[in-house]
Amino acid sequence: MGGHVRLRPTLIRIGRIAFGLLAGLLPPKARREWGREAAADLHQLLESAGRAGGSGAVARVVIRSLMDLAGRIPVEWARVLSMRERHGHVNAGGSRQGWGERVMSMWHELRIALRTLARRPGYAATASLTLALGIAGSVSIFTVVRAVLLEPLPYPDSDRIVSIRHHAPGLDLPELENSEGTLALYAQEADFLSEVAAYDTGERNLVSEGRPERVEIVQVSPGLLPLLGVDAWLGRGFTEDDAGEAAAPVALLSHGVWVNRFGADPGVLGSTVRIDGRVSELVGVMPEGFDFPSPDVDIYLPLYLDPQGPFGAFGLAGVGRLGPGVSLEAAAVQAEALQERLPEMHPGIEADFLEGAGWSVSLERLQERMVGAEVASALWIVLATVGVVFLIACANVTNLFLVRAESRQKELAVRAAMGAGGRRLAGGFLAESLVLGAAGGLVGGPLAAVAVGLLVRHGPPGIPRLHEVALGPLEMGLTALLAVVAGVLLAILPALRWRGSRLAGILRDGGRASTDGPGRHRVRNVLVAGQLAMALVLLVGSGLMLRSFDAVRKVDPGFEATGVVTVGLSLGEGVDGRAGATFYQEVADRVGALPGVASVGLANAVPLAGGSANGGSFYVESMPRDDDELPPVAMYKAVGADYLESLGHPLVRGRALTRGDWESGEPVALVNETFARRFLPNDGLGEAIRWDEELDFARVVGVVADVRELDLTEPPRAWAYLPLVVGEWGYPNMDRAYLTVRTQEGASLSAPSVREIVAELDPTVPLTSIRTMEEVLAAETAGTSFTMTLLLIAALTALFLGSIGLFGVVSYVVGQRTREIGVRVALGARAEEIRALVFRQGIGVVAGGVVLGLVAAFGLSRLMASILFEVSTSDPVSFLLAPVVLVAVALLATWLPARRAARVDPLEALRAE
Amino acid sequence: MTPPDPHAHLPLKTAWFHILLTLADGPAHGYAIREQTEGRTDGAVTLWPATLYGALRDLEELGAIEPLQGDADPDDDQRRRYHALTSFGAALLRAETERLQGLVDAARASRAWGGT
Repeated sequence: MGGHVRLRPTLIRIGRIAFGLLAGLLPPKARREWGREAAADLHQLLESAGRAGGSGAVARVVIRSLMDLAGRIPVEWARVLSMRERHGHVNAGGSRQGWGERVMSMWHELRIALRTLARRPGYAATASLTLALGIAGSVSIFTVVRAVLLEPLPYPDSDRIVSIRHHAPGLDLPELENSEGTLALYAQEADFLSEVAAYDTGERNLVSEGRPERVEIVQVSPGLLPLLGVDAWLGRGFTEDDAGEAAAPVALLSHGVWVNRFGADPGVLGSTVRIDGRVSELVGVMPEGFDFPSPDVDIYLPLYLDPQGPFGAFGLAGVGRLGPGVSLEAAAVQAEALQERLPEMHPGIEADFLEGAGWSVSLERLQERMVGAEVASALWIVLATVGVVFLIACANVTNLFLVRAESRQKELAVRAAMGAGGRRLAGGFLAESLVLGAAGGLVGGPLAAVAVGLLVRHGPPGIPRLHEVALGPLEMGLTALLAVVAGVLLAILPALRWRGSRLAGILRDGGRASTDGPGRHRVRNVLVAGQLAMALVLLVGSGLMLRSFDAVRKVDPGFEATGVVTVGLSLGEGVDGRAGATFYQEVADRVGALPGVASVGLANAVPLAGGSANGGSFYVESMPRDDDELPPVAMYKAVGADYLESLGHPLVRGRALTRGDWESGEPVALVNETFARRFLPNDGLGEAIRWDEELDFARVVGVVADVRELDLTEPPRAWAYLPLVVGEWGYPNMDRAYLTVRTQEGASLSAPSVREIVAELDPTVPLTSIRTMEEVLAAETAGTSFTMTLLLIAALTALFLGSIGLFGVVSYVVGQRTREIGVRVALGARAEEIRALVFRQGIGVVAGGVVLGLVAAFGLSRLMASILFEVSTSDPVSFLLAPVVLVAVALLATWLPARRAARVDPLEALRAE
Repeated sequence: MTPPDPHAHLPLKTAWFHILLTLADGPAHGYAIREQTEGRTDGAVTLWPATLYGALRDLEELGAIEPLQGDADPDDDQRRRYHALTSFGAALLRAETERLQGLVDAARASRAWGGT
């Protein structure tokens, strides 16, 4: 829940600010009459949505309230205008006629706007394409955010479904899920949950019609499908009897497997397949689109939960449905209180032990669990980023618009002189900007659809529900809303600047008098400085992501990844340890004889690529401990001879495991440096350890380097490496194994030959995976690189738009001052002096933008903390380099017009008058 | 001046109808009006802030509701304004209800409900 706890207040703040900004577009009268009250009300609404429904609910309220307010703005303006009309013309016939007139006059203005724009196709295209980019970026990312974060899971009352997790920071283990013991506690004692169920994902060997295949499975307790509110589409779901200890094996197919592997044949119901060697009856097919807990699931199997099951095996994911009227917060409090009953239910568990382990439980909405806090933060950040790009695009077009308005000042003045009121002129601006906004929306909408398609196809594997993403009516609405918002934003500044009264003087002095006043360009300068500031914020953000990506890539996994291929194979669950190891070793030996292969190792888990590693509390022979003392905890996995050598996993001291070790059955072990340092006296060699009191102690014969076994970005844990086959004292789970194949330089492993070798030994054993270690490492950084790429694209777009804005303003000023510059040149000013003159114009703006941007970036970068790795949110490199890039580009944007100014020919300049 | 004719404002906007209906049970503030409306419609109708407070202003201007002075719950937030139904507001609600009743009667008499 980490990210969401911080996210919610931020969202509420953003919502209130956005509402306040949008309310600024209301007529002042309406703002006074009800605007403040509505804003206060929204605050209360957001707070209660936050309490009841989490950040997703807050976001929904924000969006609906903003859309509601946006719809109300034109209504309020129409009211104000029609009232004025009624006051102005006594007995003018009420509002109906006023409306008719207004529609006609608006239509008239729109036609004029269209004609005006058609005469300037370059300007119109630039402006509307800029807006289209801004709109497309915002809409496409919003689409992803909606589908992944906001759209409820496709189950009835899915916001009442919670995921149950446990935490024990005192034990050095990865996150704890549930054990049969904890699930029994909730099933029997938790009256705040109306239903409790569990599931466990895994892989199995499926053999049907003689073809072996490795499939993804989920074991689900019989209550899970009813809890989700989903039933089998064909056939039946699981009953309690299916999950009995001695029940006949049954299985449910996912819709995808039923179509692809069984040809969508309804006749498969009642037929049998072999799943890990057990003949299982197919009893049903799940509905299309049912993808719990992930779209990769092929087969559902019943899960037997022993109510008397142990407390200590935490492999099961637990879900519950909140009881009627129970809020998530209340349930969380009651769940925490329930933990006191654990010692009572499980006599081996002491209250002191739980306290020492820092034992606690957390409930979170299933949706938040499925998405994960990290992905959620990254998506919100990217959404905020594209929102900024949209604002920059608007600022840019506003600038173009102002410049245009200035070049049209004579025409405007003539219109004013002929009796067009300020409102009429403002209407003209509004019509033109609305046409631009509409064009931006019309182009931006389809562009967003294309962008979403690209995101879905090329998004990283870490984003869940990405396949559900598609543009819907809400996105159409958002496109329209952004188009209108852009249209209104564009018109505000020109309408304020060119109020009728200001135009009076322009005709008098031929449109020249006011061109050189000091305040003339202030508005545009501020706009450009703002754009540059926003661009700088995004540059800093992508700088931080780049640095984070770099840090992840530079993490030393601890082994030599280049030239290693991992091959996964599986004999299926329940295979005998010794028989399994013998089979796998036979495969390994034959693969080792292939040409180009340098060495082949064997293990039941490989770094970062999965496997059947275990973890738990262990005992050190030389350090007996009291029963109420917190036991040390470490992970272990089984490795064969040549494992270290093939993977390039360095041995620090002592010796490696040999084939003799598992043939003799002599209990030995390797530990990594963290293990030795943390848990063993001296250098660790010669100590003896075991994970089970009933088994012999294993002698530590070697210490190996720390390797990132589970996660590249987490500090190394304590690991032990046990021999594959360990006779009477062995733990290894041999249902699957991995070969680590090191190829000779320049050679590669032939996948078909490996397949052939396995098929020769046993045709029912599937290869589960063949991946190079380099691919495995690249997958670890995929999420970061995706966020980084999006941020970088946004930042570069922002930089580009900002520089164009700067270029436009400086060029315009140069154009306006051509005469003055001509005079200066005629009076003997040198080219450098002219360049410096123009440069100064730009430098002030750039400096303002940099200062503003750095301050904003400093405040905003903290929001990125949760997605950064080993990079501080105030990383000096990013904060120094980003302004350098910005200033460099900005200087180029000023230098081009400055160079042109220095080349002004005084005769030409003066003659032009 | 002739008394205003409630029928000139029919059919009522959804927000207006729900506001008047809530206030028929006694004075209330905006937030309570939204909650009661959501409860009454099982969450099908939500009066978002701009619609709600815009409509309250409209109805007040029309004379259908009036702000309640003084005797608001002293524990309550000072910012909350209470609104009460006026006799014109009651007439407006009655007129709309009769209009809707007429429609419902007509529908029930139709073939879909076994009419002739």
